Amino acid sequence: MQHQDADIVIVGGGGAGLRAAIAAAEHARKEGIEQRILMLSKVYPMRSHTVAAEGGAAAVTSEEDTLEAHFEDTVAGSDWLAEQGVVDYFIRHAHRELVQLERWGCPWSRKPDGSIQVRRFGGMKTARTWFAADKTGFHILHTLFQTSLKYPEIERLDEYFVLDVATVGGEVAGVIALQVATGELIALRAKSVIIATGGAGRLFQFNTNAGIVTGDGMAMAFRHGVALRDMEFVQYHPTGLPGTGILITEACRGEGGLLLNKDGYRYLQDYGLGPETPLGEPKNKYMELGPRDKLSQAFWQEQKAGRTGKFADSDVVYLDLRHLGKAYLHERLPFICELAQAYINVDPVTEPIPIRPAVHYTMGGIETDAQCETSLKGLYAAGECASVGLHGANRLGSNSLSELLVFGRLAGEQASQRATATAYADIESLQQQVQDQEKQVARLREANGSETWVGLKREMVQAMEDGCGIYRDEQGMQRALDTIRELKSRYQDIKLSDRSRIYNTELLQCIELGFGLDIAEATCLAALGRRESRGAHQRLDEGLQERDDINFLQHSLVFFNVDAPAQLRWQDVDTRFSAPAVRAYGDAGKGA
Amino acid sequence: MAKHVGYFPELKRNWWLKNRYFTLYMVREATVLPLVFFIACLLAGLYSLLQGQQSFQGWLQFMQNPITIVINLLALVASLFHAATFFTLFPRVMPLRVGGKAIPAKWIILGQWFGVLLVMVLFAWVFGRGV
Amino acid sequence: MTTKRLSIQRYLPEQSKTPFWQEFEVPFDDSTSILEALNHIKEDMDGSLSYRWSCRMAICGSCGVMVNGEPKLGCKSFLREYPGTISIEPLAHFPVQKDLIIDMEIFLEHLAAVQPYLINDSQDSNQTHKQTPAQLAKYLTFSDCINCGLCYSACPQFGLNPEFLGPAALTLAHRYNLDSRDQGKAQRMVQLNREEGVWTCTFVGYCSEVCPKSVDPAAAVNQGKVESAKDLLINLFKR
Ligand SMILES: Cc1cc2nc3c(=O)[nH]c(=O)nc-3n(C[C@H](O)[C@H](O)[C@H](O)COP(=O)(O)OP(=O)(O)OC[C@H]3O[C@@H](n4cnc5c(N)ncnc54)[C@H](O)[C@@H]3O)c2cc1C
Ligand code: SF4
Ligand code: FES
Repeated sequence: MQHQDADIVIVGGGGAGLRAAIAAAEHARKEGIEQRILMLSKVYPMRSHTVAAEGGAAAVTSEEDTLEAHFEDTVAGSDWLAEQGVVDYFIRHAHRELVQLERWGCPWSRKPDGSIQVRRFGGMKTARTWFAADKTGFHILHTLFQTSLKYPEIERLDEYFVLDVATVGGEVAGVIALQVATGELIALRAKSVIIATGGAGRLFQFNTNAGIVTGDGMAMAFRHGVALRDMEFVQYHPTGLPGTGILITEACRGEGGLLLNKDGYRYLQDYGLGPETPLGEPKNKYMELGPRDKLSQAFWQEQKAGRTGKFADSDVVYLDLRHLGKAYLHERLPFICELAQAYINVDPVTEPIPIRPAVHYTMGGIETDAQCETSLKGLYAAGECASVGLHGANRLGSNSLSELLVFGRLAGEQASQRATATAYADIESLQQQVQDQEKQVARLREANGSETWVGLKREMVQAMEDGCGIYRDEQGMQRALDTIRELKSRYQDIKLSDRSRIYNTELLQCIELGFGLDIAEATCLAALGRRESRGAHQRLDEGLQERDDINFLQHSLVFFNVDAPAQLRWQDVDTRFSAPAVRAYGDAGKGA
Repeated sequence: MAKHVGYFPELKRNWWLKNRYFTLYMVREATVLPLVFFIACLLAGLYSLLQGQQSFQGWLQFMQNPITIVINLLALVASLFHAATFFTLFPRVMPLRVGGKAIPAKWIILGQWFGVLLVMVLFAWVFGRGV
Repeated sequence: MTTKRLSIQRYLPEQSKTPFWQEFEVPFDDSTSILEALNHIKEDMDGSLSYRWSCRMAICGSCGVMVNGEPKLGCKSFLREYPGTISIEPLAHFPVQKDLIIDMEIFLEHLAAVQPYLINDSQDSNQTHKQTPAQLAKYLTFSDCINCGLCYSACPQFGLNPEFLGPAALTLAHRYNLDSRDQGKAQRMVQLNREEGVWTCTFVGYCSEVCPKSVDPAAAVNQGKVESAKDLLINLFKR
């Protein structure tokens, strides 16, 4: 058994992981101490899903904008389920982080005078979203990755798949990983561990996420007794391409794109987002710039009413960008033009783009405190895998890229700080856990049951799509939960067709499915327990269609049990600055 | 932990025949051969001129040989082809900007051909008048 | 549903030292990509087939393969574009680890070698630099590289000598050299001036042809040659 020591181990090389690594390195330098920082990722860092983010990152920037406004938008967007102390920290630090990226070379789009350009985004009162054309995540990720090369103390283990967190005496002791290229296991002993493994969009059939977004880190923390918080809140993005689910960024609407039903009518005015804004004058929080949950829900209603069009087998509405003109589209939305052309053979300059909602973002995640630490000492989480409490029941677009930076950094600094005052755990007790893992992996590799991971995965994503979609009801969610539990037991009887060690990608997909089933169960459980409608969780059940602050101004917490079903508990929400109010957009929300 | 060594396909000698693009590249590189011949001709002419009348006559005869003419025509075509490839590549190597605006590649390429034309006209004028 | 035949080069190092070819008949429609065809094979026909992928939207750079002998992104090439049997091989000029998975380490080493980050004295400032859209436009296309490695498979010079820094790394160096905020050019030129820097390039130009992001690495490398020539000349006079 191989083993290595590092003061800080970071699981995940996306935006959050890289930011944490750099922050830890900077912190150690400032303290004048030497720390070894080890970053593991199951893919090369620049393949991480942050690369796909298109639209932008939010921070209060212009003279007219205020921190209070960003705070209010985020809290209202969350349907008052955000931790307000955390939101307050976030809005105060977001700008600093975007400036820092600029100083590291990120090619932000500019105004003619050379200052930063901002664009509108849904649910935000005013334009405050920084962007790099429509490849913001790509440029952020590459800037962070390239900058990380400056720090020799950051070492990387690329294409190492982390299987588990190791603990000794109730504290984190390291991680256990599988080197994908060889199939060998390695123990990495650490004083602090940061999980930055991204979301879990691949639990659903139709999603905008990359294939690697399978919720691994959430499941690892969960299995060690850390709660998953607010898992019932899954964001549907209103504009995915039919078929693949590839994202058409919200920036399209920020730039003035229109949403039309099959009759060419701007249907959003019928759903409390009106009145209709004139062509070429998009207005924040009105019509197309309403929040994502409302827009996805409006699609569902139009679909029910038979007013959606067809593209191949999908029901669709249309995103019309034609009035923006070729030159503007090619400057501001070049990637969107490329994607629409390649994947559905539509040129946005001359035709409206058919679109439909798709699962996009996991609001919930590993519960952490405001300093990114979990209930397991020494284990931190940041980025989409974490629930630090920023997004509540609905995330505002462009808040999460800023989140990666603000909380990635905080997690890195905290982890580095802890490592200065902690010793390595005893290696013997680690060895035991590694051997257990080794046995499990060997068993899986040789597994010769009657189920295939493909079959189980297909049933899982279908069950989640059917039971935990844009609108939910008791029966549907219960059916989903039952299915997931059944799949979990069938997972024990799985069979692999690839028994090799070198790059056994089937084995990895199988392990990912195991992680996914645990999280899916937590999601269904939390969704069933939340007997109200809030943000992205909308119920059709009689009497549960409204928000219920008396009983459910609470976070859901799901706890894992080894041999019993997972358990649901509730936790108070920090509403210290702003009491819950009506969440309204369009004219109804004037003054909010 | 070291990865296993894996399999490393070797580049075969005829790699440039496998792909149209590489073949075209090799042709571009090969344009140098007729050009070398042409330059050798010129140098030989200069040399024989210094050697005297008889020698120069021999050279003229050599130059009128159909094979020589064909090869030299080939050299002309080759140099034009080389110029064409060079001219299309030029705007990418030396992107030109005026007042912050990039000059379209097409214009730069046309400009270069215009230059070629100018040189030819100039030569025709100088020598056409002289004889 | 219509089907198409894919002929895939397999390499299973734990079974044999040499690669072999295997054919699969896959269903397809107008929008089926090579990547989706590979996924179909893995999920429904042969679970041992190994390849890399992630974003399936041509931005993460994982899924490069040779399609009928040309370097392509699997997720951005479509079955409809190819009549007849389609041959699929791992990216050329790299060591193969398994099936369509190549060893990318040398590519990453070359990237790291050119110091691809902003080098600037005033690190501590908390203000953004000014950079006009024209200054941005100078380097922006060169910053669009997704590190897919297709250009290395298109470069015979890299095939002949893997020490050659190669199109993507040289482009990245040039991207930072052109950035109005950067002051690190002198440091990077040391790498560019080397034999394995810009001067190994003979302007074959195929790299730019295959680049899925229109980065035009050939232009960057050859602009790099101009810079390198200037740099060498200046150094000559300094001495
Ligand atoms: C298409 C799309 C567009 C988006 N656009 C925007 C936008 O415009 N603005 C905005 O604010 N947000 C946007 N988002 C959301 C935002 O991009 C994500 O929330 C964010 O990028 C997540 O970053 P991360 O660092 O947490 O995770 P990721 O970038 O997903 O990285 C996860 C990392 O963890 C590693 N990993 C995972 N599991 C393991 C394991 N078992 N072992 C080892 N390593 C592992 C992966 O290899 C990867 O490196 C978008 C999301 C999508 C899907
Ligand atoms: S330059 Fe183009 S082909 Fe080369 S690695 Fe970058 S994106 Fe890929
Ligand atoms: S899968 Fe990401 S580029 Fe093809």
